[in-house]
Order: sequence, then structure tokens, then C-alpha cells
Amino acid sequence: MKNLVKIVIVSLLIVSCNKSADYPISNYILRGGAFIVNEGNFRSGNGSLSFYSYDSLKIFNDLFVNANGRPLGDVPNSMAIKGNNAYIVVNNSGKIEIIDQSTLKSLATIQGLNSPRNISFISDNKAYVSSLYSDSVAIINLNTFSISGYINIRRTSESIAIAGNNAFIANWAQGKEIMVVNTTNDRLVDSIEVGNEPESMVFDRYGMLWVLCNGGWMRQYYAKLVEINPSVNKVVKTFTFPTKEESPTCLKIDGLGQTLYYLDDGVRQMDINSTSLPATTFIIQESGESFYKLGINPVNSDIFVTDAVDNTQRGYVLIFKNDGSFVTKQQAGIIPGSMFFKLTFETTND
Amino acid sequence: MKYTLFYIVILISLPLNGQLSIEKDTFKIKEVIISGNKFNSEASGFKKKSIDSSILVDYNNRNLADMLSENTGIFIKSYGMGGTATPSFRGTGAGHTLVAWNGINIGSPMLGQTDFSLIQVGLIDDIQIYYGGASMIINDGGLGGAINLVTKPVWNKETLISLNTGIGSFGQYSGLMKVRAGNYNLQTVTKCYFQNSENNFRYLNKEEGPEPVWQTRTDNQLRIHGFIQELYFNNKKNITSAKIWYQNSDRNLPASMLTQPNTGEKQFDESLTAMLNYDASKGRSNYSFTSAWIMNKLNYVNRLASIDSRNYSQILTAKASLENSIGVNTKLKIVLDAQSSEVKSNNYDHNTTRNTATLAVSADRNVNRYGTSILFREILDKDHFLIPDFNAGAQFRLIDGKEYYFKASISRNSKIPSMNDMYWVPGGNPDLKNEYAFIYEISYEMKQNFSGPLKLIYNVSVFRYNIKDMIQWHPGVYSYWSADNIKKVNSKGVESSLSLDYTLNNLRTGVRADYSYTIAQAGGSNIENDVSSGKQLMYIPEHQANALLSFGYKIFYSSWMFNFTGKRYITVDNSKYLPGYILNNLNTGIKLSLKSTSIDINFEVRNFFNINYQSIAYYPLPGRSYMVKILFQLVK
Repeated sequence: MKNLVKIVIVSLLIVSCNKSADYPISNYILRGGAFIVNEGNFRSGNGSLSFYSYDSLKIFNDLFVNANGRPLGDVPNSMAIKGNNAYIVVNNSGKIEIIDQSTLKSLATIQGLNSPRNISFISDNKAYVSSLYSDSVAIINLNTFSISGYINIRRTSESIAIAGNNAFIANWAQGKEIMVVNTTNDRLVDSIEVGNEPESMVFDRYGMLWVLCNGGWMRQYYAKLVEINPSVNKVVKTFTFPTKEESPTCLKIDGLGQTLYYLDDGVRQMDINSTSLPATTFIIQESGESFYKLGINPVNSDIFVTDAVDNTQRGYVLIFKNDGSFVTKQQAGIIPGSMFFKLTFETTND
Repeated sequence: MKYTLFYIVILISLPLNGQLSIEKDTFKIKEVIISGNKFNSEASGFKKKSIDSSILVDYNNRNLADMLSENTGIFIKSYGMGGTATPSFRGTGAGHTLVAWNGINIGSPMLGQTDFSLIQVGLIDDIQIYYGGASMIINDGGLGGAINLVTKPVWNKETLISLNTGIGSFGQYSGLMKVRAGNYNLQTVTKCYFQNSENNFRYLNKEEGPEPVWQTRTDNQLRIHGFIQELYFNNKKNITSAKIWYQNSDRNLPASMLTQPNTGEKQFDESLTAMLNYDASKGRSNYSFTSAWIMNKLNYVNRLASIDSRNYSQILTAKASLENSIGVNTKLKIVLDAQSSEVKSNNYDHNTTRNTATLAVSADRNVNRYGTSILFREILDKDHFLIPDFNAGAQFRLIDGKEYYFKASISRNSKIPSMNDMYWVPGGNPDLKNEYAFIYEISYEMKQNFSGPLKLIYNVSVFRYNIKDMIQWHPGVYSYWSADNIKKVNSKGVESSLSLDYTLNNLRTGVRADYSYTIAQAGGSNIENDVSSGKQLMYIPEHQANALLSFGYKIFYSSWMFNFTGKRYITVDNSKYLPGYILNNLNTGIKLSLKSTSIDINFEVRNFFNINYQSIAYYPLPGRSYMVKILFQLVK
């Protein structure tokens, strides 16, 4: 009841403060769904934030500009939530927008980052931010919303995965290593050679780190899927893709940590115990569709795929059940990219 | 004597432009030609326009982009002061405007387009605009139209020295020195110039937060240096000329308001064009031979992204034309144009060359009040012939002796892909086909001298374009974009211009107005439910209007310029747009003449009402600015 009152108050506030949002978006956000970060076109400043609501079964668009009266920025790349705060990393604006995760009102902006890509939380006070162009990972103080330092990893960086006291940082652009940083003293301690251009990483149910190396943006090398034992920083298994033409991206895992998913001319599905790469496509990409990013609901394993269409018009999010059956297709912003699942309180799995 | 002079004028203007001149003098010339039993090769039925010389003087220390956007219906897509500016004719793309210097294509073979922010108006003696199919007179590729920059001598026995300096807001200062000397047989023209600007203007940033904040533009400097040297030799029966144009420019490229600052983006451009021309007349034939070597260098640096792109291109062109009269009313013209382009770029796999040759055959016939013209062009690209292009036009003089014309034309024009579209790594596609367009146009033109001092010129045109196989870079199966012939564009619209002049004794007043309405829509695609199909293209305003009100009395003059640019969509589904804006410029000055010297002191206020506007989303443009110009001229 108390919550309901709060919700009503919050929604009233939103309605009264924001003439362009005549729906209580915070209600929908509180009841669960997925944020979609729409990248927009490089230098066009048309990136945006959308939310797919399980409650209404629809997507709400342009949430950042509606809540804050200004555009999100140029090429927002990713989003993550810690506590009540959502962090949107805006790549070509060199900034992180920090907003309230339900009202979406701006709380702070961290500027001066060098081509930031992803944020990963080390503790309640500290986060790491990867960089496409610089050889340093930025350390963010989550209390003051400021850059507290840099870790020179001598490589550019993309995805970050945390296990114990180590951060595994993928050197994606023209790289082939996972750099290991000790998160207690922020020092580079090791590196693990994987395939060319390690792009995305997930942990499975046994704590093993899976790394998808897409083989180079011009497909110069064979793509690889590599399993790493993060306690010894060693490669356990390597799957090499059959042709250079295959350039898989966007490795994800279901909530159980049992089934891997990635994009490779459609959505592919693979059990972590499989001895070979999947030969068939799980969800087929139809003609005219351009699958761009993938997200797996950590609770019910719904599969979310973004379709960037022609990268100039507004794209779509396609939602499938775990068995591959189609649920819905909803329009999002321009180049819908990475997604962040914000599920109900009991089931949130950040 | 008078006749001889006219004859010389004809001779000069004819070969230099590759066809007879079309400016206001045309009509004077035309009458002489008719009486001399010659004919005018003005491509009957097509629309051409020359910028009034008084406008060129007003803009002599500004760039071509500013001049065209404020005085014609051509839309200029500009990244702001110091940033690149490219034209859009009637809804076509930047690469669809052919840019020529004295009839020779000077556009970069790599980009296939020209940055109008780097061309200073003061260097040019005449700017000729060819709309739609009329551009085929110059060369192929100008689906939207062509802009011919003409430099020419004045055949008389005098020496002219002019100094033109300007200083203005945002650290702008410029200088242009011109020396013209010679006699009836030999002329030399030298122009040296520089232009510096800091472009550190203040602007209101509404994108940073809910409350707008004033900010100052940084990293936006532009420096241009260059010279033109021309030599003309007139041997009564023929004219030989040699021309060199060198220019370099260095600039910091301004970022969008939303992108991270201090990216260290810079661009260095350098160009050198050397041209030799021989024009002769024998009996009923006119010959013209031109050869040119055009070098373009473009280095782009982005420190943040570690990009160091180095691009060098050279074009060797040879162009020959023969014009012959058949009978009294018909004229035949054959133009052969061969080009060899070479590109060295660290963005290409290897040094790349391309050879093309075109043959154009045209005929013009003028009988009484009727004029017709037809042109065929065949392009040989490397080793294969493209589908031939053509145009046909007709015009009708409504009343004998009056300058009222009804014109109609149809054209098929094509453009071979730019070398970047074909060879850029990654994404260039060597299998690209040429883009082509069908262009239909109807226009009405009138010129009338009312009783005495009142003069009216009016023009209205309706056009339609169907552009096919248009090249578009798009995301493909690879993670980078690639070029393909996938786009279709249909555009249609109306252009209208009016000029009214009244001159009586010491009083000079004039009104000039242009309006253009352009609907340019994306055609269908292979995408299911393509939301962009049938929608107005991004950054093409539907409405654009200019007006210039000028007034002069004795030594004083002043003018008021008004420019309206309608809303421009910034998303392909037309869901978002930049609002339209109105700019006002005021210009006033005095011109003092004493014997052989004259001095013109001019004060200009641009964006008088301090309007905050954007031409491209999130690229700010300056508010009110001031400039003082002094033009000193000595004629002996």
C-alpha cells in the first residue's frame, strides 16, 4: 500500500513535470521490462533510450529526452543499473549520464571520458569504464560521480567481466587478449591470449568465462569461442568457426548459466557442454532484417533481438520465447543496441 | 569598331565557357549574332542563370556557399563557419552538382563533390548556374545541376590594381589583391588571397541541460591561402590562354555540440589546377582545345580515433570541341572529353587509376520564334560503354521582339560513381553501376524594360526528377558499411525568381527575390514496411526563399538581405526536424571615385536579429556578426 502511494505520487510528479510524457512510465519500469539503448547515427546525436514493459507489452521511446528536456547524446552504447541509479555510457559524447532508474531524471553527468563503451561495477563505490580509443580504463567514484583515476592496460578495451578480485577486460578493436586487472589495487596483473577481436563475454553456471572473438571487423581471421578458467587465467576450450565469413557477435547466456546465445546470421543457441558450435540457426533473420544486438531475460530466458533495419530509420526489438516462438515486434529508436533487463524487485538479476 | 568589340566578346565568352555565355549580356550578344547570320548555342529550352556582378562584389571576401545559399534557390548543407558546405540542387545529393572552372570539371575524383566553403567568391568573374539537364553542356555527372566558375580577361589597354581587405567578428580577416594588365593582344591577370578566421563565436547551447547555456565555439580555425595567375594571348583569329590556380587550406573541424570535445580533428586541403586553352574561329567553325592537370590533396587527422587519412588525386583532362554552322539557323557541336584520374590513398588497397572518355554531339536550331536543341552523350568508362545520355529542349518566344519565353526540356543524365564509392577500404564496391536520372522541366522566362528606368526579369520553373540506381552506403552483412546502387529518389518542385530594377539619375533601387519549393522523396526499397519510402529526404527544405532590397543614391548604397530556410527533417521517417529560420543581413557603404582611383568602404551586419539556428543538427551557427571591408581600385 505504501508502495502504491509512492508510485502514485511519483507518477503524478512525472505527469505534472513533463508534458510530453502523459503516461506514468515509472510504473511500467517498476513492474519490469528491458531498457533498450538506441545508438543512433554517429555524429547525428539521435541516440535515445527506450523501455519494453512486460506490463503493457509495448515499448516506450525517447524516454531520456522526455524526462530531461535534452538529447541523450551521440551514440549511447550501453547501460547498467546499480542501486537506484542507471548509468548510460554515451560513447561519442565522452560521458556517462546517471539517471534515476524509475523516474529517469538526470542525477549527474560524468564528462571527459575518452570514447567510453561499457561500465562494470566493482563495488558500491567503484566502477570501471572501458574505452575504444585510449589504452586506459577509467575508474569511477560512484559516490561523487567523478573519474577517480585510470588503469593503464596498454590496450583499448570493450567488455568487462568481474570475478572475485579480478576484472577481465577484453581488448576488442584489433586486439586478441583479455587483460586481467586486480580490482583491489587497480593494477594490471595478467593477460590471456584468446582469438582475434574478443567482443563479448559471459560467465556460465560454473563460473567459467566464455569469450566470443569475432575474428576482426574485416573478417581477416577465423572467429573463435573461447572458454577460460578465471581462477587460473587459462584457456580451457576453443571452438573455431568454420569460415572467415562467419563473424559472430553479442555472446549472452541464460539466467541458469547453461545455454549460450550469440548472433551469427540469426540467433544461435549452444549448450555450455556442447562439443561443437551449433550448425543450425535457432532464430532465422528474415530478409530486410538486420539483427544487431541480443539480450536474454535472466529470469524467463525470453530472447530479445534488435533489428537495426537500414541503420537510418527507427529499428525494432523482436521478442521470442525461450523455445524460439515469436512473441512481438515493437518499434524502438534508431539502431537499437544493447539492452538491460530491469525486472521486478523479487526477480531482479543485475 | 563596335561590331569588332562585340565579336571579340563573343569569341572570348564562347570558348571559355564551352558554349555561349548565358548571363545578362547574352541578349545583347544574341542580337548581334542574328544580324551577323550566326546563331546562339544557348541550348534552347534549358534553364541557366548567371549571378549578378553586383552580388559578386558584395560577397567577394565570402565563400561560394554563403553566396549561393543567400542568392539562389540552391540549398547548402553547412557544418557552420569553418566547416564543410556542400550543395543540393533540387533535392539531389552533394555529389550531383558538377563544379567546373572555365568548363573543366574540378571536383575531386575521390569524393565526387566539392566543398563550397573553400571557394572564395572574389576570385571569380562570373558564376554560371546550369539547372538540371542544362549541366550536360558542361559535362556529365551533374544530375542536379552545374556551377561553372568563370575567370576571364577584359580586352582593353588599361592596368587595374585592386586591393580588397576585410576584418570582422570572430577573428575574420581576409585580403585579395588583383592585378590586371595588358593590351588588346595580351592580358595578364593575377589574384593573390588569404583568409583567416578563428570562428570562435558565442552560441546558445540548448542541448547541454534543461537550461540553455552560452558557450564559445573552439577548435574551429580556418586558414586559406592561394593565387590565380592567368595569361591570355589574342591573335585576332585565335586566343591562347594559360591559367594556374593554387590553394591550400588548413582547418580544425568543429565538433557537434553533443560529441566529446578536443578530438583533434583537422583537415588540410591543397589543390593545384593548371590549364591550357586554345580557341580559334575559322569561317563558320569555332574550335576549342583545353587541357588541364588538376591535383587535389586532402589529409584528415583525428587524434582521438588515431586516424591519419592521406589522400592524393590527380586528373589529366583533355577537351576538344568543334562548333559548326549548318545553314543559317542550325549549329552542330561535337565535344570530346578524356579524363585520366589517379588516386593514391592510404584508405585504398593500392594506387588506383580510372580512365573515362565522353563524346557529346549536340545540335541547336533557331527559326523565327522557335528554338530547339538536342544532345547525345556517350561515356566510355574504362573499357565499357555506358547507356547513352541525352537531352532535348525547345523554347518558344511568345511575342516577336519581346523577351518572353516558354521553355521545356527532357534529359537523361548519368553520373559514374566516385572513386571512394568504388575503392574505399572497407566498403567500396568496384562493381557499382552509374547513377542516372530522368529530368523533366518546364519554365517561363520574361525580361521587360518598362518605360524608361524600370526593368523586370521573371522566371518560374517546374521540374521533376527520377533518380535511379542512386549510390548509398548501408550496413551489410559485414560490420562495416558498403556502397550499393540501392536508392531511388523522386523529386519535384517549383523555382521562381524575380528581379526589378529602377534607375533614374542618381537613384538606384532594386528588388530581387527567389523562392524554391522542393519535394524530394525516397523511392521504394527492399525493406518490408520501409518507413522512409515516400518521405521527404533528410536535410532538404521544402521551402526556401531569399529577397534582396538594394538602394543607392550618389555615392551611398545599402542593401537588406532576407533569407528563409524552411524546416528540414533530420530523420528518414520525418518524425523529427530542425525548425525553419529567417536570417537578415544589412549592408551599407560609400563608393568614392577620384580620377582613376576608387575606394569603396563597406559595413555589413550579418544575422542582424541574432537568430539562434542550425543548418545541421547540433552544429551551432553564429549570431549577429559585423564586418568592415575596404575595396581600393586603381585603373590606369
